[in-house]
Amino acid sequence: MRIGRYGLKLEKRLTVTGWQAAIISSLAIVFALVLFSIIFILGGINPLLAYQEIFSYAFANRFGLPLTINRFIFLLLCTCAFILPFRAGLWNIGMTGQLYAGALGAFAVLYAFGAKASLALELSPGIVIPLMLIAAALGGAGIGAIAGFLKGRFEINEIVVTMMLNFIVLWLVAFMIKEGGLFMNPGGRGESFEIPPSGYAPLIMGVPFTVFLALGLAGLLYFLFAKTRIGYQIKAHGHNPAAAKYAGISAFGIPLLVFALGGAVAGLAGYHYFAAVPGVYKIARNYAYFGDLAFYGIICGLISLGNPLAAIPVALLFGGLSIGGRFVQGKLGMAFGVDYALLGVLMITLVAFQFFYRYKIVWVTIGEKGLDVGVHR
Amino acid sequence: MWEFIARSLEASTIFTFAALGELINQRSGILNVGIEGVMLFGATLGFIAAQSTESYLLGFLVAIVIGGLLGLLHGFFSVTLGVDQVVSGMGIWILGFGLTTYIGNPYTGPLGLPRIPTVLGLSPFFYIGIVLVVASWFVLTKTSLGLRIRSVGENPSVAEVSGIDVTKTRYLCVTVGGMLMGFAGAIYSLDYNPVWNYNFLMGWGFIALALVFFSMWNPFILLGGSLLYGTLWQLSLNPQLVLPGVMSRYLWRTVPFVTTVGVLLLMSTKWFRIRWGAAKPEALAQPYVKE
Repeated sequence: MRIGRYGLKLEKRLTVTGWQAAIISSLAIVFALVLFSIIFILGGINPLLAYQEIFSYAFANRFGLPLTINRFIFLLLCTCAFILPFRAGLWNIGMTGQLYAGALGAFAVLYAFGAKASLALELSPGIVIPLMLIAAALGGAGIGAIAGFLKGRFEINEIVVTMMLNFIVLWLVAFMIKEGGLFMNPGGRGESFEIPPSGYAPLIMGVPFTVFLALGLAGLLYFLFAKTRIGYQIKAHGHNPAAAKYAGISAFGIPLLVFALGGAVAGLAGYHYFAAVPGVYKIARNYAYFGDLAFYGIICGLISLGNPLAAIPVALLFGGLSIGGRFVQGKLGMAFGVDYALLGVLMITLVAFQFFYRYKIVWVTIGEKGLDVGVHR
Repeated sequence: MWEFIARSLEASTIFTFAALGELINQRSGILNVGIEGVMLFGATLGFIAAQSTESYLLGFLVAIVIGGLLGLLHGFFSVTLGVDQVVSGMGIWILGFGLTTYIGNPYTGPLGLPRIPTVLGLSPFFYIGIVLVVASWFVLTKTSLGLRIRSVGENPSVAEVSGIDVTKTRYLCVTVGGMLMGFAGAIYSLDYNPVWNYNFLMGWGFIALALVFFSMWNPFILLGGSLLYGTLWQLSLNPQLVLPGVMSRYLWRTVPFVTTVGVLLLMSTKWFRIRWGAAKPEALAQPYVKE
């Protein structure tokens, strides 16, 4: 394209530095929000007002902020669960099923201690909560490992398998909590029994302790990829599985490992939302909503280019946006699902912006000579 | 029992349409994992159009057009921009899932139009589906257009040298494929189960994706797979009609998904691998950049 003596040219990027990636990702988010204002305008709402409401509720409101932080913890864990296989070149879209399995694991521990029978049961938190965490991680890891095993051993497409597992575990949860299932609420409301207050996750300044778990895991993953041998092997498998295999990196072990670990992290996300968020403390009837939210983890992981530290601010922002979106939907009288719509718009914008991670548009000055000869390129 | 068989055949029709669209995509070397998103869009917008104009014809037209547009979008991302096809397909799926939940919500509930008349006790789309299977088999294997599509899917650079426009051929396939997926969605929401509900598909599109892998890219095997899965799906929805009291209805719902994993496992055995590898479009999911 040419404008006078200047021209626009596409140039292939050979490498993307951290800062360039950060700028492109930020632009993608801004672009998505601008695009999303169309939805507000179609709903007859001033988008500036809507965004002001979203951000002030999500980040500066004493009711909204705790919700945002809880959502952030959940999204960060889901993002880490996505990133682990992603760095090995594999797609984990099964966070949904893995987190349900984590929730089932945590509730199985409570059930074993007899928590279903009575809310007044005195559990000793020092024993029960670590056991719940371990069971949640194991539950998620078990579901993840199925996909990793099938990928590593039989080269079965992990996208299809993880998606199938999502639906399988979705119905397993329904089986467990509805119509006489093992974890059904004695009141029979189609939801699980409630956790006795003695089994609540400890709060630190009103925030569940899982916030440290999530932040710590993000830091640990960063360290894993940057400094350790196993992290290097994961990345090598991601760049070129065939070459990695010749270098002695197991083509079976790496998929199994990343999916089991990713699943374990997603299982913790399940623990967080169903057993640690104040005011929930049960597998509610609308548990599928939390499963759907896990898909934000895919977007966070892609937008932060698989960097667990970069995922922290992104997860915080998306947590706030989804909470604020739900709030303006009620306040400004919009149809249900503003947060779902935002999920879709963010994702498709991000796809379009993938292009800019690989190409850049540069201004070139076309010299006098070029004009004289009249060579148009 | 006839009721059950008829419903199963109707369910299989939806799989046939959606998976046939994906098959045409993949034969040209483009993988679209966002079938479910395209189906959701076709189903939701078709439902809204049909309800507000009280015309089935318009509903289906809208669904086909939106499907084609989403196919074009996938083509733009994966052919023109060279974006990873899995990322683009995921994007289309999540876009469909997110936006249709928002757009369709005010229309939650039944369609409220007289049902589409049946032909010999079956939905007319069942017959259209069989005609389409035969037609696409014929086009893909017996015509020069089919040869063009297959060569673009096997080796785009050789195809380009021999004078085939790779970009145009792939755009054609993603658009036609998208139209079929949108149509499949509308068959669901206008004929099979004319009620709009939040995220009502619950995996139809992903099963259709798996069906294409099972079919070894052959429309007739695809038809057989659709019939099998249509029956299985119907059984999982209404187990009490055939096997009352065998298992919790929630566990029945997992059966199609467990079966899919099982079939994928079967396909990974050596006997299948060799045939599967030979049938697979060689350039599938690889972006093609003209040098």
